[in-house]
Order: sequence, then structure tokens, then C-alpha cells
Amino acid sequence: MLQMNLQFFSHHKGGGSTTNGRNSAGRRLGSKRADGQTVTAGSILYRQRGTKIHPGENVGRGGDDTLFALIEGVVRFERLGKNKKKVSVYAAEAK
Amino acid sequence: MIQADFTVNTNSQIISFQITGHADSGPYGSDIVCAAVSAVSIGTINSLQKLAGFEPEVEADNLNGGLLTCQIPATVSGQALATAQILLQNLQLTLEDITQQYGQYIQVQTKRK
Repeated sequence: MLQMNLQFFSHHKGGGSTTNGRNSAGRRLGSKRADGQTVTAGSILYRQRGTKIHPGENVGRGGDDTLFALIEGVVRFERLGKNKKKVSVYAAEAK
Repeated sequence: MIQADFTVNTNSQIISFQITGHADSGPYGSDIVCAAVSAVSIGTINSLQKLAGFEPEVEADNLNGGLLTCQIPATVSGQALATAQILLQNLQLTLEDITQQYGQYIQVQTKRK
């Protein structure tokens, strides 16, 4: 015997379906080294999209705007103009 | 759109039917065409067992709904087959009546085997 399900030829609960429900994994952006920290050349300092933080002294900018140290030294986050920031790396003995 | 297909043999007896699809005539719980088709089709299958006295070969997608097939075993004959034909023709006529007013939600076809 079949159960008398009066919704047998009806769409699922809630009727229509949504086109939402997708999400991408977090990109783990942001700072990777702290101010005053000693880093080696090539160390990644900041992951970002666009230039929230600009490259300063001895800091390079990668293709995805990642900032990295060009020399070994100490990390310094500094102001850039009125409302911008930059990150620099100064050789250890220099500061 | 619900699609109801009946198959008849050379003696014009209905030997199977298949009903597929979703009515979409209203939101879940208020889909009156779905409810009507569900009631008469499931009711017919249950009546074949209770009134005609045999087990039809049934396939029903109880998880997703929208698929119901029923086949009369070839071994059925005599009074049982006569009773089954009344029930199946009643189902066919009822579904055709529904299509008169709700043709945009259900279609009925008969194929000869």
C-alpha cells in the first residue's frame, strides 16, 4: 500500500530553489609580521587586495599586491602622507 | 508540468501508467493540482490491491516525488483484470477531466503497445 502523500507531485518544501548558497574560503589576508619584528629577505609582510598598505623602504610589491622584505632587517609600519600607511624594513644596525 | 502516460494493449486495456513531473500550480502545501493528481493516482494503486486483489508492479520516488509508475502483471486475468480496468480507466478519465481546467499544469497521453 502506498502512503497517501498529497504533495507527491509537488516541488520540495519551500517550493522554489534559490541560486544562493555558495561561499568561498577565506583568503587569510592581512599582516603577517608585526612592527619591530626582525625578518629575513623575502619574508612576506602583508597580504592584501589593492594597496591598503603601501610598500616603503626595502619592501617590494608582488603581483597580487603582497608586500615582502627586500633585505634582512626590522619591520616598521609608518604613516604615508595624510591618511595612508606604508611598511618598511630597515637593516638591523641602522635603527 | 505533470505528464501522465497510459499504455494500452491491443484489446484497448490499460496495462500500465506512468506519471512524472511536478504541477507547480502553487507553493508547497497549497498546490491543488498536485494534491488532486496525488490523491487519484495513489488511491488507484491502493485500490488495485484492495479491490482487484493483486499486487501491481509499482515504482514510486518517495524521496523526491514526481515519479509514479504502475504495471499490471501479465498473469492478471478474469475478474481481477476487469476490476483493474475499471479502476485504471477511472483514473484516466479523472486526470483528463483535471486537464480541462488545469491544462497548463498536467497533460495526459495514451500510447498503444
